[in-house]
Amino acid sequence: MVAVVGVLLLADLLLVNASLAEIAGVAIDAAILVAAGAALAAVASLALRRAGDLVRRRGDPIGAAVVLGGMAAVLIAGLRPGANGSSDPAVGWLVSALLIPMGATLFALLFVTTLAASRRSLATRSREATVLVTAAVVVLVLLLPIGGGVGAWLSGAAGWALDVPIGAVFRGMLVGVAILAAVLAARTVFGVGTTDE
Amino acid sequence: MLTGERVPSQAELIAGVVRFVGEILGASSLRFEVGPTLVILGIMLVFLQLVARPVSRWVTSDAGGLAGLGRAMALAAEAGTDAVVSLGTAGVARSTDAHSRLQTLAALPVLGHVARAAARSGVPLRVLTNDPLAGVAAAATLDSAHAITSTLERVGRSRIVMVGEGRQAAGGLVMTTRARPAAAVVAGSLREEATLHLEGLRGSAGSLAAASAEVAQAPALLLSGGGALIGPEAYQVPADLRAEVTERTMVMAANRLIFIAVAVLAIGSALALAGVIAPQDLLLGIGRE
Repeated sequence: MVAVVGVLLLADLLLVNASLAEIAGVAIDAAILVAAGAALAAVASLALRRAGDLVRRRGDPIGAAVVLGGMAAVLIAGLRPGANGSSDPAVGWLVSALLIPMGATLFALLFVTTLAASRRSLATRSREATVLVTAAVVVLVLLLPIGGGVGAWLSGAAGWALDVPIGAVFRGMLVGVAILAAVLAARTVFGVGTTDE
Repeated sequence: MLTGERVPSQAELIAGVVRFVGEILGASSLRFEVGPTLVILGIMLVFLQLVARPVSRWVTSDAGGLAGLGRAMALAAEAGTDAVVSLGTAGVARSTDAHSRLQTLAALPVLGHVARAAARSGVPLRVLTNDPLAGVAAAATLDSAHAITSTLERVGRSRIVMVGEGRQAAGGLVMTTRARPAAAVVAGSLREEATLHLEGLRGSAGSLAAASAEVAQAPALLLSGGGALIGPEAYQVPADLRAEVTERTMVMAANRLIFIAVAVLAIGSALALAGVIAPQDLLLGIGRE
C-alpha cells in the first residue's frame, strides 16, 4: 500500500494528468483526514486520562488540573459564541501573553545550560567536545569588539573562519543530510525496511 | 478484452493493459521539461539501487553508543527503573518542515531497536512525543516490538507521553521530571531547545544517546556527553542497527578483505609503474616451471 501510494504520488509529480491528479488528491486528503482524526483522538485521550488522574487522585493531580484548565481556556476562547476560532483575539492573547513568554523563559536557560554542558564535557575530557569548546573560544576571541588594526585583522579572520572552514563543514554536512534524507524517503516510499532481528 | 463468449487470453489482457497505460500517457503531459524529468528518474534509479540493499555494509562502528543498550537495560531491570526514548520535537503531522518530520520517521527504527531490547529485559519504556500521529506510530512500534519478542504481557507497562505542543514544552518536561531512567535515547529533530532537552535527560538518565540531523544543533549533541549521531548519521543509523555481534564481525571481515584487495592492487600498480615488475610476465609466469 505504501509503495503503491508512493509511486502514485511520484507519477503525479512528474505527469500532468487529470485522472492521476484526482487519485493523488484523494490519497492526500485521506492522509489529512487520518491525521486530523488521530489528533482529535489523541486530544480526547489526553483529556480523559488527565480527568481520570484528577478524579482518582493518582499520578500528578495538580499537573492534570493545569492541563485540563489550559485546554478548557483555549476551547472556551476559540469556540464561545461569536468567537473567530483560532484567529480570535482571546486565543491570540493566550498564545502571545502566556505561551510565548513561558517558552522564552525556558529558552533563556540556554546560556546557562550550554555553559554547564561545556564545563561537564571538558571535565570528562571528551575529545570532540574539547575541540568544539576550543573552536568556540577562538571564534569568541576573533569576534571581540576591538578597534584599530588589530580589530580589523580579527574581524577579517572571523569572517574567513566563518566562510571557509566552518562554512565548508556546514555545507558538507548539509549535502550528506540531503543525500541520506532522500535515500530514507525513497526507502519509506517503497516500503523497504531493515530488521535488526 | 472480452469478446462476448470467452474469457480473454493473457495476450488480450496484456494488450488491454498496454492500451490503457498508453491512453493515460497520451492524455498526459510532462510537468517538467524532459531534462529535469530524466534527472529525477535517474536519481530515483540510483536510490532504487541503494534501497535494494537497505543494510549499510561499510560501517562497523558502534552507532551512537547503541551497542551499550543491552547493558543499560540490564541495569534498568536490576534497579527497577525505566528507559526513555524521545522522538524529538518535530512529530509527523505538526506544522514544520519535511526535513524535520522525516527525522521522526527515521527515529522509529531506533525506537523499535530500543523497544525490543527493553521488552526482552522487562524494562518499561517511556516514549516522549509532542505529536499525536508520532504517538500512534510509536504505540504501533512498541506493540510490534513486544510481539516480535513474545512479550505481549509486558506491553502495558510501557507508555507514550504526550509532552504538549511546542518544542519548548518537551525541554521543560525533561528538565523538571523527577524520574531517573537507566537510559535515554533521543532520536529526531531538535532545534533551539536541543541543549535544554539533552541536558534535562543527561541530568537524570544513566546513559544518553542522541541522534539529530539538524546540522545547526551539532554542538548540543557533542556537548551532551553521550553517544552522538550528527547530521547524516541520524538518517544512516536505521541501516546500521545490529542485534547480532556476528553480523558486525562479518562486515568487518568483508571490509578487511576488500581493503587488502585494494592495497594489493595499489601496490602492484605502483610497482608496475616503477618498472619493478612486469604484470604480464608475472601473470604468464604463474604455473610455468
